[in-house]
Amino acid sequence: MNYSVAVFASIGLLLLLVMAWLAFSATRKRPEVVRKESRDRECVHISKLPQIKQALADSDFMYLNERGYPALAKRIKKERRRIALNYLACLRVEFEKLLHLARMVAAMSPNVAVAQEIQGLRLNLEFSYRYYLIYFRLVSGVAPLEAIGSLSDMVSTLTIRMETAMNELGERAALGGAELLPHNGGGLDAGG
Amino acid sequence: MRGYFRRLPFFTAYIVLNLCQALFLYAIYHHFGHNSMPAYVAGWVSETITLAARVFATVELLRLVLLWYRGIWGLTWRLLACVCPMVLLLIGAFSRSDAPVFVMQVDTGLHVIFAVALVLCLGLIHYYPIRVEPVYKVLLSGFCWYLCARILTNTVLHGYSYAQYIHYWPMWQTLAISSYLLVLILWGSVLSKPLPAMLQRQALLPDSVYTHISPEINDQLQAINRRLMNFWKIEEPPQ
Repeated sequence: MNYSVAVFASIGLLLLLVMAWLAFSATRKRPEVVRKESRDRECVHISKLPQIKQALADSDFMYLNERGYPALAKRIKKERRRIALNYLACLRVEFEKLLHLARMVAAMSPNVAVAQEIQGLRLNLEFSYRYYLIYFRLVSGVAPLEAIGSLSDMVSTLTIRMETAMNELGERAALGGAELLPHNGGGLDAGG
Repeated sequence: MRGYFRRLPFFTAYIVLNLCQALFLYAIYHHFGHNSMPAYVAGWVSETITLAARVFATVELLRLVLLWYRGIWGLTWRLLACVCPMVLLLIGAFSRSDAPVFVMQVDTGLHVIFAVALVLCLGLIHYYPIRVEPVYKVLLSGFCWYLCARILTNTVLHGYSYAQYIHYWPMWQTLAISSYLLVLILWGSVLSKPLPAMLQRQALLPDSVYTHISPEINDQLQAINRRLMNFWKIEEPPQ
């Protein structure tokens, strides 16, 4: 079999797989939304972090080790990892919310910039790569505990910033839509 | 049928052209024989015509799907204008120019470009929150499946040097027709029901909303990414 055949056959197979994936992921969309909604509910209290931060503090863990409670220390270690994973998942939810908003705005716009959209796609891919890298490091236990502790700071500041930004964007999008509807006679110029 | 012709004139024309092609080729093969020169020329000329009809039918379906998403429609065309020449160059680089397989290579190349463009469009529809009626999804997927099947049939049969055998062409035709018949059955199953009503015109945001909000969102996404990037860099706690 020569290289030309191999290339074309691979392209054909790849396209077939992508198409199958597109069809398959479209049918799975609904349960994902349900899961996202339940995750949203879990992440509602993410900004109330001081108590969680206290629970994650190194001092408690060191104290237990010094006092000779290895079983308890192990349990706390496990708990910390679980909390870190939950934060990571919440971060993903926030990222996806923003991404969804960006896609909504693009879909409802009469003109879309290729560069902006490609940047959004690139950021999405970068995020996914980093997210899974960190996720597997946390799950496999390779992550240093200090890093898990620092995660709480990261999520708290980020959540506050994101909440503010989301509110702003929501208000502006609503304003933009409201500006349009009554004044230009419904002429949203959506015709093809 | 009348309803389909009104809503999907190019798609209906494509189906009718395919039937005409089958009848025309049957007559030619019957009169001149399978391996004759007139049969060869008639086969490829009619194939070119149906390929053009297929392109029009696909564009028509995509236009119906993206009718109220003007920005995404424009984005799709710009992306296709970038991607298709690149695929063409890639095909040119990997194609063989020897005479016996040249026509087949051109046919495969055209199908590859078409399939890549279609998958790209389906990917964009999937990526953005665009409401697509299942019937249009099935019609577009049917085109995609047929194109992929043709690419694989063309390449794999040649790859194993079936061209040397006398049964090559009947085998190639059987595979091409079978994949097309499968698509026809799929299309028939969805088109047995009446087409859904046209979606109502959707409100679009003014240009300024996208121009302002999109870079802001990208900045926010960038900020999250930076945070993740610095995840393992442990900073000294402030004293």
